[in-house]
Amino acid sequence: MKKSTKGQYALTLVSLILGLMLATQFKNVQKVGGNVSVQRTQELTEYIKKLESDNENLLNQINEYKDIISSYENTSQDETLLNELIRTKSQAGLMSMEGPGVVITVDNLLISGWDGNQQVFQSVHYDDLLRLINELNAAGAEAIAINNERVISTTEIRNAGDYIVINTNRHSTPFEIKAIGNPDNLEAALKLLGGVVDNLSQILDISIKTEERITIPQYEGTINYRFAQPLQENS
Amino acid sequence: MKIKKDILILSFVGVLVGFFVIKAFDAENPQLGFSNMMSPHTWDRYFQERSIASIENYLNRTKDLEESKELLLEEIRELEKVISEHEETAAARLDRGEQIRQELHDSRMIAGMLDIEGPGVEIILDDRKRDTILENDTDMIGYYIVHDSDLLEVVNELRAAGAEAVAINGVRITGLSRISCGGPTINVGKEQRFAPPFIIHAVGDPEALTSYFQRNDSIYQTLIFWGLRFEIKQKEMIQIPRYIGDIEFRYAEPIREDE
Repeated sequence: MKKSTKGQYALTLVSLILGLMLATQFKNVQKVGGNVSVQRTQELTEYIKKLESDNENLLNQINEYKDIISSYENTSQDETLLNELIRTKSQAGLMSMEGPGVVITVDNLLISGWDGNQQVFQSVHYDDLLRLINELNAAGAEAIAINNERVISTTEIRNAGDYIVINTNRHSTPFEIKAIGNPDNLEAALKLLGGVVDNLSQILDISIKTEERITIPQYEGTINYRFAQPLQENS
Repeated sequence: MKIKKDILILSFVGVLVGFFVIKAFDAENPQLGFSNMMSPHTWDRYFQERSIASIENYLNRTKDLEESKELLLEEIRELEKVISEHEETAAARLDRGEQIRQELHDSRMIAGMLDIEGPGVEIILDDRKRDTILENDTDMIGYYIVHDSDLLEVVNELRAAGAEAVAINGVRITGLSRISCGGPTINVGKEQRFAPPFIIHAVGDPEALTSYFQRNDSIYQTLIFWGLRFEIKQKEMIQIPRYIGDIEFRYAEPIREDE
Protein backbone atom coordinates (compact mmCIF):
# COMPACT_ATOMS: atom_id res chain seq x y z
CA MET A 1 0.00 0.00 0.00
CA LYS A 2 2.76 2.37 0.96
CA LYS A 3 4.53 1.86 -2.32
CA SER A 4 1.53 2.74 -4.39
CA THR A 5 0.90 5.89 -2.31
CA LYS A 6 4.43 7.00 -3.05
CA GLY A 7 3.80 6.22 -6.69
CA GLN A 8 0.67 8.32 -6.56
CA TYR A 9 2.62 11.25 -5.11
CA ALA A 10 5.16 11.02 -7.90
CA LEU A 11 2.42 10.75 -10.45
CA THR A 12 0.71 13.80 -8.97
CA LEU A 13 3.95 15.70 -9.17
CA VAL A 14 4.53 14.76 -12.80
CA SER A 15 0.97 15.69 -13.65
CA LEU A 16 1.42 18.98 -11.87
CA ILE A 17 4.48 19.75 -13.96
CA LEU A 18 2.65 18.67 -17.06
CA GLY A 19 -0.15 21.02 -16.13
CA LEU A 20 2.31 23.83 -15.60
CA MET A 21 3.81 23.20 -19.02
CA LEU A 22 0.41 23.17 -20.61
CA ALA A 23 -0.49 26.42 -18.89
CA THR A 24 2.64 28.09 -20.17
CA GLN A 25 2.00 26.86 -23.66
CA PHE A 26 -1.60 28.02 -23.47
CA LYS A 27 -0.40 31.44 -22.43
CA ASN A 28 1.82 31.55 -25.48
CA VAL A 29 -1.04 30.61 -27.76
CA GLN A 30 -3.16 33.30 -26.13
CA LYS A 31 -0.45 35.81 -26.84
CA VAL A 32 -0.54 34.98 -30.53
CA GLY A 33 -4.32 35.29 -30.41
CA GLY A 34 -3.88 38.77 -28.97
CA ASN A 35 -1.78 39.85 -31.94
CA VAL A 36 -4.31 38.44 -34.36
CA SER A 37 -7.11 40.39 -32.71
CA VAL A 38 -5.10 43.62 -32.93
CA GLN A 39 -4.64 43.06 -36.67
CA ARG A 40 -8.31 42.23 -37.02
CA THR A 41 -9.20 45.47 -35.22
CA GLN A 42 -7.11 47.42 -37.73
CA GLU A 43 -8.81 45.72 -40.66
CA LEU A 44 -12.19 46.48 -39.16
CA THR A 45 -11.39 50.16 -38.60
CA GLU A 46 -10.25 50.45 -42.23
CA TYR A 47 -13.46 48.79 -43.38
CA ILE A 48 -15.53 51.12 -41.19
CA LYS A 49 -13.74 54.12 -42.70
CA LYS A 50 -14.54 52.78 -46.18
CA LEU A 51 -18.22 52.35 -45.29
CA GLU A 52 -18.38 55.82 -43.76
CA SER A 53 -16.92 57.45 -46.87
CA ASP A 54 -19.20 55.30 -49.08
CA ASN A 55 -22.28 56.44 -47.17
CA GLU A 56 -21.20 60.07 -47.26
CA ASN A 57 -20.70 59.86 -51.03
CA LEU A 58 -24.04 58.10 -51.49
CA LEU A 59 -25.74 60.85 -49.52
CA ASN A 60 -24.14 63.45 -51.80
CA GLN A 61 -25.32 61.46 -54.79
CA ILE A 62 -28.87 61.40 -53.43
CA ASN A 63 -28.86 65.18 -53.03
CA GLU A 64 -27.52 65.54 -56.55
CA TYR A 65 -30.31 63.31 -57.90
CA LYS A 66 -32.90 65.33 -55.99
CA ASP A 67 -31.56 68.50 -57.64
CA ILE A 68 -31.84 66.88 -61.05
CA ILE A 69 -35.40 65.74 -60.34
CA SER A 70 -36.46 69.19 -59.15
CA SER A 71 -34.83 70.64 -62.26
CA TYR A 72 -36.92 68.26 -64.39
CA GLU A 73 -40.06 69.23 -62.52
CA ASN A 74 -39.55 72.99 -62.22
CA THR A 75 -37.49 74.08 -65.23
CA SER A 76 -37.15 73.04 -68.85
CA GLN A 77 -37.12 69.28 -69.26
CA ASP A 78 -35.20 69.43 -72.53
CA GLU A 79 -32.49 71.60 -71.06
CA THR A 80 -32.15 69.37 -67.99
CA LEU A 81 -31.78 66.32 -70.21
CA LEU A 82 -29.08 67.96 -72.32
CA ASN A 83 -27.24 69.18 -69.23
CA GLU A 84 -27.39 65.66 -67.83
CA LEU A 85 -25.93 64.32 -71.06
CA ILE A 86 -23.03 66.77 -70.98
CA ARG A 87 -22.30 66.09 -67.33
CA THR A 88 -22.34 62.33 -67.80
CA LYS A 89 -20.23 62.52 -70.95
CA SER A 90 -17.72 64.69 -69.07
CA GLN A 91 -17.42 62.04 -66.39
CA ALA A 92 -16.97 59.31 -68.98
CA GLY A 93 -14.29 61.28 -70.86
CA LEU A 94 -16.48 61.74 -73.93
CA MET A 95 -16.40 65.57 -73.76
CA SER A 96 -13.47 67.84 -74.50
CA MET A 97 -12.56 69.79 -71.38
CA GLU A 98 -10.66 72.95 -70.58
CA GLY A 99 -9.25 74.47 -67.42
CA PRO A 100 -6.05 75.16 -65.49
CA GLY A 101 -3.52 72.41 -64.86
CA VAL A 102 -0.08 71.05 -65.66
CA VAL A 103 1.72 69.91 -68.80
CA ILE A 104 4.47 67.33 -68.45
CA THR A 105 6.82 66.43 -71.28
CA VAL A 106 8.65 63.12 -71.05
CA ASP A 107 11.46 62.31 -73.47
CA ASN A 108 14.41 59.96 -73.78
CA LEU A 109 17.45 61.11 -71.83
CA LEU A 110 20.42 61.72 -74.14
CA ILE A 111 24.06 61.55 -73.08
CA SER A 112 27.20 62.34 -75.02
CA GLY A 113 28.99 59.22 -76.25
CA TRP A 114 32.79 58.79 -76.54
CA ASP A 115 32.65 60.11 -80.12
CA GLY A 116 30.78 63.25 -79.14
CA ASN A 117 27.47 62.03 -80.57
CA GLN A 118 24.32 62.09 -78.50
CA GLN A 119 23.07 58.67 -77.50
CA VAL A 120 19.85 57.51 -75.89
CA PHE A 121 20.68 56.67 -72.30
CA GLN A 122 17.24 55.26 -71.51
CA SER A 123 14.00 55.25 -73.48
CA VAL A 124 10.55 55.96 -72.07
CA HIS A 125 8.89 52.82 -70.76
CA TYR A 126 5.13 52.27 -70.46
CA ASP A 127 5.27 51.99 -66.67
CA ASP A 128 6.91 55.43 -66.38
CA LEU A 129 3.76 56.90 -67.93
CA LEU A 130 1.55 54.61 -65.82
CA ARG A 131 3.14 55.92 -62.63
CA LEU A 132 2.87 59.56 -63.70
CA ILE A 133 -0.84 59.13 -64.48
CA ASN A 134 -1.43 57.43 -61.13
CA GLU A 135 0.39 60.28 -59.35
CA LEU A 136 -1.78 62.86 -61.14
CA ASN A 137 -4.91 60.94 -60.15
CA ALA A 138 -3.74 60.79 -56.54
CA ALA A 139 -3.32 64.58 -56.64
CA GLY A 140 -6.92 65.04 -57.80
CA ALA A 141 -6.64 65.49 -61.57
CA GLU A 142 -10.05 65.89 -63.25
CA ALA A 143 -9.08 65.09 -66.85
CA ILE A 144 -5.87 63.62 -68.28
CA ALA A 145 -4.54 62.99 -71.78
CA ILE A 146 -1.26 61.53 -73.05
CA ASN A 147 -0.39 62.78 -76.55
CA ASN A 148 -4.04 63.79 -76.80
CA GLU A 149 -5.27 60.29 -75.90
CA ARG A 150 -7.88 60.90 -73.21
CA VAL A 151 -7.37 58.63 -70.20
CA ILE A 152 -10.67 56.85 -69.43
CA SER A 153 -11.68 53.76 -67.47
CA THR A 154 -10.48 51.34 -70.17
CA THR A 155 -7.24 53.13 -71.13
CA GLU A 156 -4.24 50.80 -71.28
CA ILE A 157 -0.59 51.85 -71.66
CA ARG A 158 1.53 49.06 -73.14
CA ASN A 159 4.91 48.63 -74.79
CA ALA A 160 4.77 47.32 -78.36
CA GLY A 161 8.24 47.25 -79.88
CA ASP A 162 9.53 50.79 -80.15
CA TYR A 163 6.07 52.21 -79.60
CA ILE A 164 3.80 52.68 -76.64
CA VAL A 165 0.18 51.76 -77.24
CA ILE A 166 -2.44 53.98 -75.59
CA ASN A 167 -6.17 53.48 -76.28
CA THR A 168 -5.06 50.93 -78.94
CA ASN A 169 -3.19 53.67 -80.86
CA ARG A 170 0.60 53.69 -81.27
CA HIS A 171 2.64 56.60 -79.92
CA SER A 172 6.33 57.39 -79.58
CA THR A 173 8.53 59.94 -77.81
CA PRO A 174 8.26 62.72 -76.85
CA PHE A 175 5.21 62.23 -74.66
CA GLU A 176 3.12 65.16 -73.55
CA ILE A 177 0.86 64.55 -70.56
CA LYS A 178 -1.80 67.17 -69.91
CA ALA A 179 -3.87 67.22 -66.72
CA ILE A 180 -6.61 69.62 -65.59
CA GLY A 181 -6.90 70.24 -61.86
CA ASN A 182 -5.53 72.51 -59.16
CA PRO A 183 -2.18 73.46 -60.78
CA ASP A 184 -0.38 73.97 -57.46
CA ASN A 185 -1.54 70.63 -56.04
CA LEU A 186 -0.64 68.76 -59.21
CA GLU A 187 2.79 70.37 -59.47
CA ALA A 188 3.57 69.89 -55.78
CA ALA A 189 2.59 66.20 -55.91
CA LEU A 190 4.80 65.63 -58.95
CA LYS A 191 7.79 67.53 -57.58
CA LEU A 192 7.72 65.78 -54.20
CA LEU A 193 11.25 64.88 -53.11
CA GLY A 194 11.66 61.14 -53.59
CA GLY A 195 8.45 61.12 -55.60
CA VAL A 196 7.79 59.70 -59.03
CA VAL A 197 9.28 62.58 -61.03
CA ASP A 198 12.29 62.82 -58.73
CA ASN A 199 13.06 59.17 -59.48
CA LEU A 200 12.25 59.27 -63.18
CA SER A 201 14.22 62.46 -63.87
CA GLN A 202 17.41 60.50 -63.21
CA ILE A 203 16.77 58.29 -66.23
CA LEU A 204 14.46 60.44 -68.39
CA ASP A 205 14.20 63.99 -69.63
CA ILE A 206 11.16 65.38 -67.80
CA SER A 207 9.83 68.92 -67.56
CA ILE A 208 6.72 70.20 -65.78
CA LYS A 209 4.97 73.51 -66.29
CA THR A 210 1.69 74.85 -64.92
CA GLU A 211 -0.74 76.52 -67.31
CA GLU A 212 -3.86 78.57 -66.81
CA ARG A 213 -5.73 77.11 -69.73
CA ILE A 214 -5.33 73.60 -71.05
CA THR A 215 -7.57 71.87 -73.56
CA ILE A 216 -7.99 68.12 -73.29
CA PRO A 217 -9.72 66.30 -76.14
CA GLN A 218 -12.49 63.76 -75.72
CA TYR A 219 -11.97 60.00 -76.09
CA GLU A 220 -12.08 59.24 -79.81
CA GLY A 221 -12.55 55.49 -79.80
CA THR A 222 -15.70 53.45 -79.47
CA ILE A 223 -16.34 50.94 -76.74
CA ASN A 224 -18.61 48.01 -77.46
CA TYR A 225 -19.62 46.24 -74.32
CA ARG A 226 -19.77 42.60 -75.31
CA PHE A 227 -19.62 41.04 -71.85
CA ALA A 228 -20.70 43.63 -69.28
CA GLN A 229 -24.43 44.09 -68.76
CA PRO A 230 -26.04 46.70 -66.51
CA LEU A 231 -27.62 44.95 -63.52
CA GLN A 232 -30.85 46.93 -63.16
CA GLU A 233 -32.07 46.04 -66.65
CA ASN A 234 -32.37 42.43 -65.62
CA SER A 235 -34.04 43.02 -62.31
CA MET B 1 12.46 -0.04 -2.62
CA LYS B 2 13.52 -0.34 -6.24
CA ILE B 3 10.24 0.99 -7.55
CA LYS B 4 10.37 3.93 -5.16
CA LYS B 5 13.81 4.84 -6.44
CA ASP B 6 12.60 4.63 -10.02
CA ILE B 7 9.68 6.89 -9.26
CA LEU B 8 11.97 9.38 -7.54
CA ILE B 9 14.25 9.51 -10.54
CA LEU B 10 11.28 9.81 -12.86
CA SER B 11 9.85 12.68 -10.86
CA PHE B 12 13.23 14.38 -10.76
CA VAL B 13 13.59 14.11 -14.52
CA GLY B 14 10.02 15.33 -14.87
CA VAL B 15 10.72 18.41 -12.76
CA LEU B 16 13.85 19.18 -14.76
CA VAL B 17 12.09 18.80 -18.09
CA GLY B 18 9.16 20.89 -16.91
CA PHE B 19 11.44 23.59 -15.58
CA PHE B 20 13.50 23.85 -18.71
CA VAL B 21 10.52 23.79 -20.99
CA ILE B 22 8.94 26.68 -19.10
CA LYS B 23 12.30 28.45 -19.06
CA ALA B 24 12.54 28.05 -22.80
CA PHE B 25 9.05 29.43 -23.34
CA ASP B 26 9.60 32.43 -21.12
CA ALA B 27 13.22 33.08 -21.98
CA GLU B 28 12.36 36.42 -23.52
CA ASN B 29 10.64 37.86 -20.48
CA PRO B 30 11.69 36.27 -17.19
CA GLN B 31 9.07 36.71 -14.54
CA LEU B 32 9.38 36.00 -10.86
CA GLY B 33 7.36 37.08 -7.86
CA PHE B 34 5.87 40.52 -7.75
CA SER B 35 7.39 41.76 -11.02
CA ASN B 36 5.03 39.32 -12.71
CA MET B 37 2.20 41.76 -12.03
CA MET B 38 3.72 44.30 -14.39
CA SER B 39 5.13 41.83 -16.91
CA PRO B 40 4.41 42.16 -20.64
CA HIS B 41 2.19 39.08 -20.39
CA THR B 42 -0.13 40.81 -17.98
CA TRP B 43 -0.28 43.87 -20.21
CA ASP B 44 -0.87 41.71 -23.24
CA ARG B 45 -3.82 40.06 -21.59
CA TYR B 46 -5.19 43.46 -20.55
CA PHE B 47 -5.02 44.80 -24.10
CA GLN B 48 -6.32 41.59 -25.55
CA GLU B 49 -9.46 41.73 -23.44
CA ARG B 50 -9.89 45.32 -24.44
CA SER B 51 -9.45 44.54 -28.13
CA ILE B 52 -11.97 41.71 -27.99
CA ALA B 53 -14.49 44.11 -26.49
CA SER B 54 -13.65 46.72 -29.11
CA ILE B 55 -13.95 44.18 -31.92
CA GLU B 56 -17.52 43.60 -30.78
CA ASN B 57 -18.08 47.36 -30.90
CA TYR B 58 -16.56 47.56 -34.34
CA LEU B 59 -18.63 44.66 -35.60
CA ASN B 60 -21.82 46.37 -34.40
CA ARG B 61 -20.74 49.63 -36.04
CA THR B 62 -19.97 47.74 -39.27
CA LYS B 63 -23.40 46.15 -39.24
CA ASP B 64 -25.11 49.52 -38.72
CA LEU B 65 -23.13 51.13 -41.53
CA GLU B 66 -23.80 48.24 -43.90
CA GLU B 67 -27.51 48.51 -43.20
CA SER B 68 -27.60 52.26 -43.80
CA LYS B 69 -25.54 51.78 -46.98
CA GLU B 70 -28.14 49.32 -48.25
CA LEU B 71 -30.91 51.82 -47.46
CA LEU B 72 -29.06 54.62 -49.24
CA LEU B 73 -28.50 52.42 -52.29
CA GLU B 74 -32.19 51.58 -52.31
CA GLU B 75 -33.10 55.27 -52.21
CA ILE B 76 -30.67 55.90 -55.07
CA ARG B 77 -32.33 53.19 -57.17
CA GLU B 78 -35.74 54.76 -56.50
CA LEU B 79 -34.49 58.21 -57.51
CA GLU B 80 -32.87 56.76 -60.62
CA LYS B 81 -36.21 55.29 -61.61
CA VAL B 82 -37.82 58.74 -61.29
CA ILE B 83 -34.99 60.34 -63.31
CA SER B 84 -35.28 57.64 -65.96
CA GLU B 85 -39.00 58.40 -66.34
CA HIS B 86 -38.27 62.11 -66.72
CA GLU B 87 -35.61 61.31 -69.30
CA GLU B 88 -38.10 59.22 -71.21
CA THR B 89 -40.77 61.93 -71.37
CA ALA B 90 -38.21 64.62 -72.20
CA ALA B 91 -36.63 62.48 -74.91
CA ALA B 92 -40.02 61.69 -76.47
CA ARG B 93 -40.46 65.37 -77.30
CA LEU B 94 -37.01 65.83 -78.85
CA ASP B 95 -36.04 64.97 -82.42
CA ARG B 96 -32.99 62.95 -81.49
CA GLY B 97 -34.38 61.95 -78.14
CA GLU B 98 -33.70 58.23 -78.50
CA GLN B 99 -30.12 58.96 -79.55
CA ILE B 100 -29.63 61.14 -76.46
CA ARG B 101 -30.93 58.38 -74.20
CA GLN B 102 -28.58 55.88 -75.81
CA GLU B 103 -25.65 58.29 -75.42
CA LEU B 104 -26.57 58.81 -71.76
CA HIS B 105 -26.61 55.07 -71.20
CA ASP B 106 -23.24 54.53 -72.93
CA SER B 107 -21.64 57.39 -70.99
CA ARG B 108 -22.87 55.95 -67.72
CA MET B 109 -21.38 52.57 -68.63
CA ILE B 110 -17.98 54.11 -69.43
CA ALA B 111 -18.02 56.40 -66.39
CA GLY B 112 -18.69 53.34 -64.18
CA MET B 113 -21.97 54.74 -62.88
CA LEU B 114 -23.90 51.46 -63.26
CA ASP B 115 -23.72 48.17 -61.39
CA ILE B 116 -22.79 45.59 -63.99
CA GLU B 117 -22.47 41.85 -64.36
CA GLY B 118 -20.96 39.48 -66.88
CA PRO B 119 -18.36 36.75 -67.37
CA GLY B 120 -14.78 37.50 -66.38
CA VAL B 121 -11.99 36.65 -63.98
CA GLU B 122 -11.22 36.83 -60.28
CA ILE B 123 -7.63 37.48 -59.23
CA ILE B 124 -6.38 37.01 -55.69
CA LEU B 125 -3.13 38.78 -54.88
CA ASP B 126 -1.40 38.35 -51.53
CA ASP B 127 1.97 38.79 -49.85
CA ARG B 128 4.30 35.80 -49.71
CA LYS B 129 3.52 33.59 -46.72
CA ARG B 130 5.50 34.64 -43.63
CA ASP B 131 6.85 31.18 -42.83
CA THR B 132 8.41 30.79 -46.28
CA ILE B 133 10.61 33.86 -45.80
CA LEU B 134 14.01 32.99 -44.35
CA GLU B 135 15.06 34.85 -41.22
CA ASN B 136 18.29 36.10 -42.73
CA ASP B 137 16.86 37.81 -45.76
CA THR B 138 14.69 40.41 -44.13
CA ASP B 139 16.29 42.98 -46.44
CA MET B 140 14.56 41.17 -49.27
CA ILE B 141 11.14 41.67 -47.70
CA GLY B 142 10.30 44.40 -50.21
CA TYR B 143 10.16 41.80 -52.95
CA TYR B 144 7.75 39.60 -51.01
CA ILE B 145 4.87 42.03 -50.48
CA VAL B 146 2.23 43.49 -52.79
CA HIS B 147 3.03 47.07 -53.82
CA ASP B 148 0.77 49.75 -55.27
CA SER B 149 2.75 49.46 -58.50
CA ASP B 150 1.87 45.74 -58.72
CA LEU B 151 -1.85 46.52 -58.52
CA LEU B 152 -1.37 49.25 -61.10
CA GLU B 153 0.31 46.77 -63.47
CA VAL B 154 -2.40 44.14 -62.94
CA VAL B 155 -5.18 46.65 -63.69
CA ASN B 156 -3.26 47.92 -66.74
CA GLU B 157 -2.82 44.39 -68.10
CA LEU B 158 -6.50 43.62 -67.55
CA ARG B 159 -7.38 46.74 -69.55
CA ALA B 160 -4.91 45.79 -72.28
CA ALA B 161 -6.54 42.32 -72.41
CA GLY B 162 -9.90 43.95 -73.03
CA ALA B 163 -11.49 44.12 -69.57
CA GLU B 164 -14.71 46.14 -69.72
CA ALA B 165 -14.87 46.89 -65.99
CA VAL B 166 -12.44 46.37 -63.09
CA ALA B 167 -12.87 46.51 -59.31
CA ILE B 168 -10.36 46.05 -56.50
CA ASN B 169 -11.88 44.78 -53.23
CA GLY B 170 -15.29 45.97 -54.44
CA VAL B 171 -14.12 49.46 -55.45
CA ARG B 172 -14.84 50.24 -59.11
CA ILE B 173 -11.74 51.46 -60.95
CA THR B 174 -12.28 54.40 -63.32
CA GLY B 175 -9.85 56.39 -65.44
CA LEU B 176 -9.29 58.77 -62.54
CA SER B 177 -8.87 56.16 -59.79
CA ARG B 178 -5.66 56.31 -57.86
CA ILE B 179 -3.90 53.26 -56.52
CA SER B 180 -1.28 54.39 -54.05
CA CYS B 181 0.67 53.17 -51.10
CA GLY B 182 -0.31 54.17 -47.55
CA GLY B 183 2.11 52.39 -45.23
CA PRO B 184 1.16 48.72 -44.93
CA THR B 185 -2.17 49.44 -46.64
CA ILE B 186 -2.88 50.51 -50.21
CA ASN B 187 -5.29 53.30 -51.12
CA VAL B 188 -7.68 52.41 -53.88
CA GLY B 189 -9.77 55.30 -55.10
CA LYS B 190 -10.51 58.05 -52.64
CA GLU B 191 -10.01 57.38 -48.91
CA GLN B 192 -10.47 53.63 -49.43
CA ARG B 193 -7.65 51.70 -47.84
CA PHE B 194 -7.02 48.00 -47.97
CA ALA B 195 -4.45 45.55 -46.67
CA PRO B 196 -3.67 42.33 -48.54
CA PRO B 197 -5.11 40.05 -49.82
CA PHE B 198 -6.47 41.99 -52.77
CA ILE B 199 -9.37 40.58 -54.74
CA ILE B 200 -9.57 41.98 -58.25
CA HIS B 201 -12.66 41.41 -60.39
CA ALA B 202 -12.76 42.08 -64.12
CA VAL B 203 -15.59 41.57 -66.59
CA GLY B 204 -14.52 40.60 -70.11
CA ASP B 205 -13.63 37.56 -72.21
CA PRO B 206 -12.40 35.11 -69.50
CA GLU B 207 -10.11 33.29 -71.95
CA ALA B 208 -8.45 36.48 -73.22
CA LEU B 209 -8.06 37.88 -69.71
CA THR B 210 -6.36 34.77 -68.29
CA SER B 211 -4.11 34.14 -71.29
CA TYR B 212 -2.79 37.72 -71.20
CA PHE B 213 -1.06 36.95 -67.89
CA GLN B 214 0.77 33.98 -69.43
CA ARG B 215 3.02 36.24 -71.52
CA ASN B 216 6.68 36.28 -70.50
CA ASP B 217 6.73 39.96 -69.59
CA SER B 218 3.53 39.82 -67.54
CA ILE B 219 3.50 41.06 -63.95
CA TYR B 220 2.22 37.57 -63.13
CA GLN B 221 5.62 36.01 -63.89
CA THR B 222 7.44 38.55 -61.71
CA LEU B 223 5.16 38.13 -58.72
CA ILE B 224 5.17 34.33 -58.98
CA PHE B 225 8.99 34.41 -59.19
CA TRP B 226 9.15 36.19 -55.81
CA GLY B 227 6.73 33.69 -54.30
CA LEU B 228 3.71 35.97 -53.93
CA ARG B 229 0.23 34.53 -54.16
CA PHE B 230 -1.35 35.25 -57.54
CA GLU B 231 -4.40 33.18 -58.42
CA ILE B 232 -6.52 33.83 -61.46
CA LYS B 233 -9.85 32.08 -61.91
CA GLN B 234 -12.30 32.28 -64.79
CA LYS B 235 -15.85 33.04 -63.71
CA GLU B 236 -19.08 32.63 -65.62
CA MET B 237 -20.73 35.52 -63.82
CA ILE B 238 -19.20 38.37 -61.86
CA GLN B 239 -20.94 41.40 -60.42
CA ILE B 240 -19.07 44.69 -60.23
CA PRO B 241 -20.55 47.58 -58.24
CA ARG B 242 -20.85 51.12 -59.52
CA TYR B 243 -18.29 53.80 -58.72
CA ILE B 244 -19.16 55.45 -55.43
CA GLY B 245 -17.43 58.74 -54.89
CA ASP B 246 -16.84 62.32 -55.72
CA ILE B 247 -17.09 63.18 -59.44
CA GLU B 248 -17.45 66.93 -59.17
CA PHE B 249 -15.49 69.05 -61.64
CA ARG B 250 -13.98 72.06 -59.89
CA TYR B 251 -11.41 73.06 -62.49
CA ALA B 252 -12.39 71.33 -65.73
CA GLU B 253 -15.18 72.77 -67.89
CA PRO B 254 -16.79 70.84 -70.73
CA ILE B 255 -16.37 72.48 -74.13
CA ARG B 256 -19.82 72.56 -75.72
CA GLU B 257 -19.77 72.02 -79.44
CA ASP B 258 -22.61 74.47 -80.09
CA GLU B 259 -20.72 77.44 -78.62
